[in-house]
Amino acid sequence: MTGDSENLAALVIYFLVVLGLVALILLISHFLGHRRQDAKDYHPALNEPFESGVVSVGDARLRFSAPFFLVAIFFVIFDLEVVFLFAWVIGFEESGMPGFIEALVFILILLAGLAYLWKLGALDWGQNPKRRLGRVAMLAAEKAASAPTRDENTPETL
Amino acid sequence: MSIKAELEAEFGLPALHFQACADGVTTCWIIREDNAFVLRFLKTLGYVMLLDLSAIDERLRQHRPGQPAADFTVFYHLISFSRNEDVRIKVALSEDDLSLPSVVDVFPNANWYEREVYDMFGVNFSGHPHLSRILMPSTWEGHPLRKEHPARATEMEPYSLPDDILAREQEALKFEPEAWGMKRKTDTNDFMFLNLGPNHPSVHGVFRIALQLDGEKLVDCVPDIGYHHRGAEKMAERQSWHTFIPYTDRVDYLGGVMNNFPYVMAVEQLAGIEVPARAQMIRVMLAELYRIASHLVFYGTFAQDVGQLSPVFYMFIDREKVFDIISSITGGRMHSGWFRVGGVAQDLPQGWEIAIREFIQWLPSRLDHYQKMVMDNDIVKRRTVNIGDYSTEEAFAWGITGAGLRATGFKWDYRKERPYSGYEQFDFDVPVGSNGDAYDRAMVRIEEIRQSLRIVEQCVNNMPKGPYKAQHPLTTPPPKDRTLKDIETLIQHFVNVSWGPVIPHGEGYMAVEATKGINSYFLVSDNNTSSYRTRIRAPSFAHLQMIPLISNGLFVADLIAIIASIDFVMADVDR
Amino acid sequence: MNTAILIATVLICLLSLAALLIWLERRLLGIWQDRLGPNRVGFLGLGQVVADMIKIFTKEDWIPPFADKGIFILAPTIVVIAMLMAFAVVPFAPDTSISNLNIGLLFFLAMSSLAAYSVMLGGYASNNKYALLGSLRAAAQTVSYEVFMGLSLMGVVLLTGSFNMSDIVLAQKEHGWFVFSQFVGFIVFLVAGIAESHRLPFDLPEAEHEIVAGFHTEYSGMKFGLFFIGEYLGVALISAVITTLFFGGWLGPEFMPPLFWFCLKTFIFICFFVLLRAAVPRPRYDQLMMFGWKVMLPISLLNLLITAALTLARAS
Repeated sequence: MTGDSENLAALVIYFLVVLGLVALILLISHFLGHRRQDAKDYHPALNEPFESGVVSVGDARLRFSAPFFLVAIFFVIFDLEVVFLFAWVIGFEESGMPGFIEALVFILILLAGLAYLWKLGALDWGQNPKRRLGRVAMLAAEKAASAPTRDENTPETL
Repeated sequence: MSIKAELEAEFGLPALHFQACADGVTTCWIIREDNAFVLRFLKTLGYVMLLDLSAIDERLRQHRPGQPAADFTVFYHLISFSRNEDVRIKVALSEDDLSLPSVVDVFPNANWYEREVYDMFGVNFSGHPHLSRILMPSTWEGHPLRKEHPARATEMEPYSLPDDILAREQEALKFEPEAWGMKRKTDTNDFMFLNLGPNHPSVHGVFRIALQLDGEKLVDCVPDIGYHHRGAEKMAERQSWHTFIPYTDRVDYLGGVMNNFPYVMAVEQLAGIEVPARAQMIRVMLAELYRIASHLVFYGTFAQDVGQLSPVFYMFIDREKVFDIISSITGGRMHSGWFRVGGVAQDLPQGWEIAIREFIQWLPSRLDHYQKMVMDNDIVKRRTVNIGDYSTEEAFAWGITGAGLRATGFKWDYRKERPYSGYEQFDFDVPVGSNGDAYDRAMVRIEEIRQSLRIVEQCVNNMPKGPYKAQHPLTTPPPKDRTLKDIETLIQHFVNVSWGPVIPHGEGYMAVEATKGINSYFLVSDNNTSSYRTRIRAPSFAHLQMIPLISNGLFVADLIAIIASIDFVMADVDR
Repeated sequence: MNTAILIATVLICLLSLAALLIWLERRLLGIWQDRLGPNRVGFLGLGQVVADMIKIFTKEDWIPPFADKGIFILAPTIVVIAMLMAFAVVPFAPDTSISNLNIGLLFFLAMSSLAAYSVMLGGYASNNKYALLGSLRAAAQTVSYEVFMGLSLMGVVLLTGSFNMSDIVLAQKEHGWFVFSQFVGFIVFLVAGIAESHRLPFDLPEAEHEIVAGFHTEYSGMKFGLFFIGEYLGVALISAVITTLFFGGWLGPEFMPPLFWFCLKTFIFICFFVLLRAAVPRPRYDQLMMFGWKVMLPISLLNLLITAALTLARAS
């Protein structure tokens, strides 16, 4: 088996080769690629982002709504916690029973946190699609209640 | 009590005027200020659905016996399922005062129809929430279905699109959230306004929906149509009665001869032609084969739009078999245009039934397989059950017909309730759903494939002998067998082929249970070789209008599932 | 010197493999979908690979003027680099890996999570709304599935007592394939792996029926090609890692060399990935997320606990 430093060196060399290779691919395609001769070849639509063939309203730099942010926060919380478990797993034999109990408590706390989030509804991105039965009927009833009466001045013949 | 008597009792005779039509639909002229009252009254009598709303430019029409004076006529076509009866309400307008009250309050689906009338005729509807062009670009000048508007490209300047005009047209397409009462942002986040379509993989053609998104959630949306508008109704005013037939094929381009069906029947109604039994059954058989083909396309694309990529290939193989049968009979595939006024183009070829029998054996086991693969799939169910659901009442209010109506549990099929072309002889079931959601709409159509197979099988087993076309001077092409024997027939043949037949004046209307819902043709003949006004009531038009109602609050992915489940083709919407 | 040869061989094999996989997928899909697939260019249509390469290399090197130029170019390279780097720790045969790191498994996890940046940055830099939606989906999805991807492997680590990939393979010599003792871990890792390489049914970041092409809507030419290569390298990587961790890696009967067994097992999993694409519909975005957080995460935590408890019980 090769030593650690050798492994690391191989990894670094490999990384450099990979980097070079990817750069080479991009460069080759850059030089081989088709070129447009003059501005006439550029259709004005080429300079607009694709949005199903229609000009956009506003651009793609927006303030997003909270669910995406929540996911990021949960990830940070859970992924960090999981890292502690990695350490326990690798030292599993050394830590033995006490380690297991500690990990058990730790995992239970994690699960409790998850259950809490679940109950809070933080894990529900969607809505439960609700049936809107009768909305039109309601609207119609409203309209009928407020339906104007026939105007007396309406001409009586065609 | 007949509807006529009831109307008279409620509104009194001087305010009403009844007109006799060739189609036998009770047709009543009313005072324009009365329109909302009359419609609301009719609604309480059971005329729950506004099936159609359009207009006629009467200014050049010569034969209008028994009709009040009018430059333009706006007509409402209502249908009552409980009475199984139609009524047509007409309002006369004069050229210098083209406006009438909107009936959006009574029938919400009048919204798009009134916009269409405004777009096509320049009629104003007071009280309409958003009266703007719907089929033509907002930059268009003139109103196409008016008689003074050119009908041919050669009557106008050659079309060109220089950069400045292009920029102007593009700018006109830009979505204005404020015009639809939408906010651009809330205190905490911005809404994304996204154009889904017209160039998008899963809007089934050139359909555009402007979405207001909060993250991935649909806050509101505005469907925008008209990208596939080809002026089929205007073309009908230039084509002869006969040469318009292939144009109808291209309205619902998946339906093939299904589109010929209501058109030729309406012409036959005006001309008083009786279609022989064999021709009727050939028509039914071909129409049902096209229904199968159309539903198979629906099935495949439905699965594809929820992310299942394979089924569509299997279903296209089956569809190809349908087209093999159709092309062996008609020579055409998708647009065979095989129906003629008075019958069909040719008799069935020898051995026509062999391939059909094979197909009837072939398809059911394949359908069982698809059932397991698609409809029983858990992810498909999660994506479509309770998504895009509506009640029967909502379906009425929005003019939803066909599988979309039956999916709500309402059992009403034109072929059963008002049999045409001999449908009463056939033994078949009308499948219904219960939730009116995307899943049920799909299930209903899939069951309809099996029922259509039953009908086709009965056609094969019971095909009557006899002529494939009526012996009537107004049929197209006209009878030829005696042309070289006497001069009268020769002249008649010559005239009817070169100019086309002159159909007696009057108003005719026929509807069929097409692949996507009720498809009807309202024809006005002015005793001429071409139609004076052809109104095509296409089911998909109504179905698209409902999209915001059933998809707001859901996700983009749900919207795609809903669109897939509606089963529309844009040519059927825009005509 | 040996390392140099190995590096060259691995890179050549991997890059041609990625290109070949495109052909393989199209042919397999063709078979499963009752059609032919590319069969015209050369033997069995294999020439198609070359033709596609020529085409993609000669496409215009287009960077949209509205995009963030630097990130736009950088994004597709990240996924290729990360996937190729992850292969460095995969043992193809005894003593045959580019770098036999003692924290090989962690290195693999690190690299595969780096790949998520590619999609996120690519979508964001495009300044296109579809791309933005795609990259948001990608971010949320990869980040969610990341959490238990690592967790699902901890059972294996616990049984082996090492993060070293070769050690894990060797441990399966005595212990038997880990797929049997760690079946739950295997399933969870498989699901997470599909999600990480965003293949159908978890291809939501590029779901063409919903958001056109998702994060790579504005990409074309070789930069699009790099995303493509990255995706297929990802498929190959996940297959190779599943083989290594759960199916005994290179272990197999003596009559064939170890490399053969490794390749065979990996190939089977690659085909499985393609089959998934042919068979399964796509869940909705929120369903996918809920599945991850509400099902997969608790399962993988419990799996780890039970594995630990059983191991302790056996030891005492």
